[in-house]
Amino acid sequence: MQFFSSFSWMRRLALRFAIVGTLFVLMTSLAACSSGTNTSNVSNGPVNLTFWSWINGADKAVALWNQTHPNIHVKYSNVGSGPVEYDKLFTGIKANNEPDIAQVEFQVMPTFETTGALVDLSPYGAGAFKNQFVPWTWNQDTLGSAIYGIPGDTGPLALYYRADLFAKYHIPVPTTWAQYADDAAKLHAANPNTFMTDFPPKQPGWFTGLEWQTGARLFRIDGQSWKVSINSPQAQQVASYWQDLISRKLIKTEPDFANAWFHDLQSGAVATWITAPWGAGIIELNAPKTSGDWKVAPIPQWQAGQNVDGNWGGSSNVVFKSTQHPKEAAEFAEWLNTNQASMEYQIKGNALYPAYEPLLNSSLLSSPLPFFGNQNIFDLFKQASTQVDDSFQWGPTMEQVYSDTGDNFANAVNGQGTLGDGLNAVQQSTIAYMKKQGFSVSQ
Amino acid sequence: MDETARERSPPFKKSNGGDRSHQSPRIDRYNIVFVLMDSQGNVKERQLKEEKNRMALEVISRNSHPHAHRTFRRRAPAPYLFLMPFGLLFILFFIAPIVYAIYQSLFRSQRSGLGLGAPIVSFNGLANFADVLHDSNFSSGVGRVLLYGIVQVPVMLGLALILALFLDSAAARFKPFFRLAFFAPYAVPGIIAALLWGYLYDPALSPFVKGVQALGLPRPDFLGAGSVLWSIANIATWTYTGYNMLIIFAALQAIPTELYESARIDGGSGWYIAWHIKIPLVVPALVLTCIFSIIGTLQLFGEPQVLLPISNNISSSYTPVLYAYNTAFNYNNYNYAAALSVVLALVICVLSFGFLRVTQRQAGV
Repeated sequence: MQFFSSFSWMRRLALRFAIVGTLFVLMTSLAACSSGTNTSNVSNGPVNLTFWSWINGADKAVALWNQTHPNIHVKYSNVGSGPVEYDKLFTGIKANNEPDIAQVEFQVMPTFETTGALVDLSPYGAGAFKNQFVPWTWNQDTLGSAIYGIPGDTGPLALYYRADLFAKYHIPVPTTWAQYADDAAKLHAANPNTFMTDFPPKQPGWFTGLEWQTGARLFRIDGQSWKVSINSPQAQQVASYWQDLISRKLIKTEPDFANAWFHDLQSGAVATWITAPWGAGIIELNAPKTSGDWKVAPIPQWQAGQNVDGNWGGSSNVVFKSTQHPKEAAEFAEWLNTNQASMEYQIKGNALYPAYEPLLNSSLLSSPLPFFGNQNIFDLFKQASTQVDDSFQWGPTMEQVYSDTGDNFANAVNGQGTLGDGLNAVQQSTIAYMKKQGFSVSQ
Repeated sequence: MDETARERSPPFKKSNGGDRSHQSPRIDRYNIVFVLMDSQGNVKERQLKEEKNRMALEVISRNSHPHAHRTFRRRAPAPYLFLMPFGLLFILFFIAPIVYAIYQSLFRSQRSGLGLGAPIVSFNGLANFADVLHDSNFSSGVGRVLLYGIVQVPVMLGLALILALFLDSAAARFKPFFRLAFFAPYAVPGIIAALLWGYLYDPALSPFVKGVQALGLPRPDFLGAGSVLWSIANIATWTYTGYNMLIIFAALQAIPTELYESARIDGGSGWYIAWHIKIPLVVPALVLTCIFSIIGTLQLFGEPQVLLPISNNISSSYTPVLYAYNTAFNYNNYNYAAALSVVLALVICVLSFGFLRVTQRQAGV
């Protein structure tokens, strides 16, 4: 072929390019150096801060802040939710141009702590709020005496169920997991097109909430090393319970928040969803025609009479090291999550469930909801919130843990191994990954 | 020779004009070409003249002093000035990032204890590359895209070739329409195409699934563990067949029609012409499209990334590029992602140049 035949000629040409080009690059960069001046950090007038969050309503809270705090101006951006934002934060941390303040979920707090990019807020008066937040949330944001974030919202789990279907097939609302499995069999027998719920294999956050309830602890800090127990007996208990329901084909195994999944919410193909307060908004928004059919009950327990819960979701606001104004940034983060008007914007906008205890009594969270047949679901979550074990600890590589768990669980629902095998594999891969990075790890 | 061919190709005598001296009964392809050129006005003489000139030029250049070349270069810096914008951008946005990726791949983030605080970046030599070679996620990803390529590339290029031959032989009236219709999917952005097909595969929305179910047949699962790779292959085939068809079609258009005429005179049918003239002469175009396709296959990313949220069966390391992407942005391990990318680039290089070597040796292209 013609254009591959003259390599030596091309090589000579490429070399000439390289030389000429390199000279030019050097010249321009030298010119840039000589003409560049150092920008001074001395600021007159209001302090400017940037804030990243994906909460609907945070923009209104920021507008209120700017109105009431003329000396500290906050610029709000929504750069994407969850991992999309974290990607940008990690890149920003590497480039030293992260925002002053950002929203991050609880499970990635240790990941961000291990970037060394978070500001300890304790010198800026954060400690004063210690007893005013739901206890477990405060523990998630602190490490020793350091306070790395101000909790924003939480996600205690509860059982959302289709009251109409349960009534139609004369099935009792389950209070224990054993009963839940029995109900699953009865429901599917009564209508082969109806399933008790969906087990989304690629949603490890949800599964971790269930493990949390069971008393499984994925990570612990043991002196100067991480103790990893992803496949603890408690975790295996949860895995084998769901593996049984999957093997008996009593539940679906579709990806959640996908079209087919939303379709199932609308059509009644799934009768329950174990989820957090924010799930209410998702059902209402995506299955408006099921208004009046849904109710919320406490999460089933392993032992009758127990009152233990787990958590799925929730986030904090953190301040990053490259900020020029840590004091003002801390002040904003504290205000955002404790000011009544600010939180009410976020409750209205995103069905946020506050971590700040005084706000749990907000009028927005104590009125019956027409969509849930006038049930006041938040009374139940207020209870549930206090039942979440406050010693749960996330690891420093949760993105990897979640990714590996999702891959292994997807294999399991395809019949390649079991969920329990998946947990064993993730235990191994996590330890290997952490050791590779130099973390001190013990099993 | 069939009836239509006889009608279309003018009789040999006619095309030969008045020159009777070349009415040789022995007709082979080259002979005819030669004769036809001759009839179009003393081409032969002109060719001879050109041949003489060329030889003269060669003599000059052979005899010229080796330094003459250099003086010529010094006198004409203009070409390099004109090429500088390209060269500069090429270095800045192609060479420099590659060099930077290679540089990055030689380091690692080192932590200790609980790892709180910023990690220390330390030189790691070629250890990242050793890890990549032992990484089962990477090798299974490469294996998966190779399996995909072995099936998808021949199917796609076969289709592209058939469409190009069809277009080449079709009546001129419909040519523009078909050319546009075949090419149209390529104009749809890749991500949009994947989204579009995502809807067609989605078990709850797909009209295919509903249609098959309505016929009382078992429900097809386009996103299942065994089928999702081929669903992705289908998207890629749909998108790129028209593009490859256009390249092959352009090659077909460049074939001198005299060859067809001579073949028809020889009694070659349409199939014979396609198989013995058209296809051998578009082999260089097929090799080119095949290399593009090998590169595209190993760089598979957009389609699996778009189908990821609706299928359980696409893992975070499903394809090598997806794995490098997730390593960089989910695992936050830029150095290892750089090593993955460099190794992948080498694999692509070896495969595409290897393919070129093999085809050059076999077909003499």
